[in-house]
Amino acid sequence: MPREYELTDDSVFVVIGSGAGGGTLANELAQKGIDVVCLEAGSRLALADIENDPGLMNQRMNWNDRRLGPPVWLCKTVGGTTMRWSALAPRFQEHEFRPRTTYGHLQGTTLVDWPVTLAELAPYYEKAEFNMGVSGTHDLPPSFETSNFKVLRAGGRKIGYKEITSTRTAINPVAHDGRPGCLQIGFCTSGCRIAAKWSTLYSEIPKAESTGHFELRTNAMALKIVHDDAGSVTGVVYKDADGNTVEQKARAVAVAANVVETTRLLLSSESSKFPDGLGNSTGHVGRNYMRHVFGFTLASMPKPVNFHRGTRISGYIRDEAYHNPERGFAGGYLIEAMALDPAGVLEFYGGWGESTAATMERYDHLAGAFVSGEDPPQASNRISLHPTERDESGLPVPVIDYALHPNSAAMQQHANRKTTELYESLDGKVISTSQGVAVGCHNMGVARMSEKPEDGVTNRWGQTHDLPNLFVSDGSVFTSSAAANPTLTIVALAIRQADHIAERMRRREL
Amino acid sequence: MSTTKTSKSDSVRQHQLALSRRKFLVAAIALSGLAIGMPGLAIVRRAWAQSGTPLEDDVYRALVQMARRLYPYAAISDEVYAEVLDDVLTATVDDEAFVETLRSAEQALNSQQPSDFIDLDTDAQIKSMRAVEQMSFFATIQGAVKFRLYNHPAIWELLDYEGPSYQRGGYLNRGAGEIDWLPEGE
Repeated sequence: MPREYELTDDSVFVVIGSGAGGGTLANELAQKGIDVVCLEAGSRLALADIENDPGLMNQRMNWNDRRLGPPVWLCKTVGGTTMRWSALAPRFQEHEFRPRTTYGHLQGTTLVDWPVTLAELAPYYEKAEFNMGVSGTHDLPPSFETSNFKVLRAGGRKIGYKEITSTRTAINPVAHDGRPGCLQIGFCTSGCRIAAKWSTLYSEIPKAESTGHFELRTNAMALKIVHDDAGSVTGVVYKDADGNTVEQKARAVAVAANVVETTRLLLSSESSKFPDGLGNSTGHVGRNYMRHVFGFTLASMPKPVNFHRGTRISGYIRDEAYHNPERGFAGGYLIEAMALDPAGVLEFYGGWGESTAATMERYDHLAGAFVSGEDPPQASNRISLHPTERDESGLPVPVIDYALHPNSAAMQQHANRKTTELYESLDGKVISTSQGVAVGCHNMGVARMSEKPEDGVTNRWGQTHDLPNLFVSDGSVFTSSAAANPTLTIVALAIRQADHIAERMRRREL
Repeated sequence: MSTTKTSKSDSVRQHQLALSRRKFLVAAIALSGLAIGMPGLAIVRRAWAQSGTPLEDDVYRALVQMARRLYPYAAISDEVYAEVLDDVLTATVDDEAFVETLRSAEQALNSQQPSDFIDLDTDAQIKSMRAVEQMSFFATIQGAVKFRLYNHPAIWELLDYEGPSYQRGGYLNRGAGEIDWLPEGE
């Protein structure tokens, strides 16, 4: 049964955000009998609110608050970006937790190794994969092979790739955990109407509610985290659904508001004791912001593919994921079969006039590959607060500064070349590749984990170095980006963090 | 504090209101067309005029023509391009700055050549558009037209795009994974 806690109840653990990190952490804590209040800035959609209409769903789910800088594509709704994600869920590789050791010094980057190893995270990856229904793990079969995936595999084999798989997607290949198997509806990024794609909206949140140790407050926008003179967090000030500014007392707080909002909240929570914001005594909050090296290659194939029939992402190639400096860059990338609706295609394939219209008229012939590659952290890639501009909540407008590192630019060019080769091997004609910075959907860094406090914001458990009871539980804690899509690792880290928090509570340290 | 649990936010409700309003407008377009048998453009002009957008006829016609030149399909009627523009106007009905952008677009297009944009032949219209494509209004209008045109059922049919599918049980038993031209063994 859902609980209701008093604002004055200082025994509750407050989680800010209900997405991959926050939703998971809240549920894990509630399952252990810890009382949790989860503040979510957005509203709670029912499955019946989810339509196969990207424009409509953007309005229902988008985080549209004003920002300056290159665009990010995030959600303000229960479930956060797990509502939107394409659900590819690969693990990080062992060396990706040790990027500084593996790659050496990369000019202009702030690379450090993670204070966490793959061996340490592996059991949590196991749990995350089970909870999320990741295809090809536990007893789940591989994902359905879409025609877009079959084109990617055929071309990949022709140019010599060996590691091509339709596994590792957190979309139920068959019924699992009370949710149905995928019907190949498409529109995954507009929310999954049948709940076959994992989202905390219909997985972790109702599970947490059934424990009797959890309250979700929707349309509750966190404004400031407050603390006592000793430097311990004591509560969260937020705007409630009725527009009143109230404070929820707390024994501890975890921030999982997705990178931009996590930064804004930590910096906005400045005080006389912490004049530069919370967790920011070494100036790292907002810095080392990473987005992944991003690519999207679209090809017009000789015969129809009909890539709209089925999941948006349906398998990937791992051959380029390894660290192989002979290619001219450090780190690697994944090549993922990705489909788009016609309007989505035109977000990438620009231009206008006869030739654009003619290419689009052969929409059913299109095949597509998304590239996700390691993006090294740079101090100058950062999120900060505008000194004077305020948004409708009265909060400072976030400013995003982001530029591609030369290593990332080299990787992007390599990926463009290889994906072009792949489609040309099947007589396809590439109509579009990515150049430079694209929309940020994979946001990482800004409160990174570091062994030494002077290198980052949080320790190996995602606890801020500065405050004993303030945690960060989203992609903000990533020390480096690795190549893999981030969500699985966010979830694994949140499950691990919950174990740590419960243990510290048991020892009465929190 | 409030303990009310709602499944839909105010913004969702507002959007639904906007949608029903749009449906009403589309119905109004159809009705007015039937009633007086006007050609497509005039029909649509009437409909958005009712919605209160203070956009002049000349500007409207120029923008419909611009929409066609952006993404030209011989098989698609002017009515569809006009519906797309009408959709844009309905969505931005209270946005005076946007309406001003539309006016300045028409002026910019008209000032490229001795004749007004709407009176030029196809090649000359394209030339005028190329001349202004770096101006900020161009991307704004292109973006709005692009999104709505390629979400229009008439275009979907032309592109062999089958659209929303959950109502029909997804594509699992309707062609997903079917491809017969890949090399042997694929």
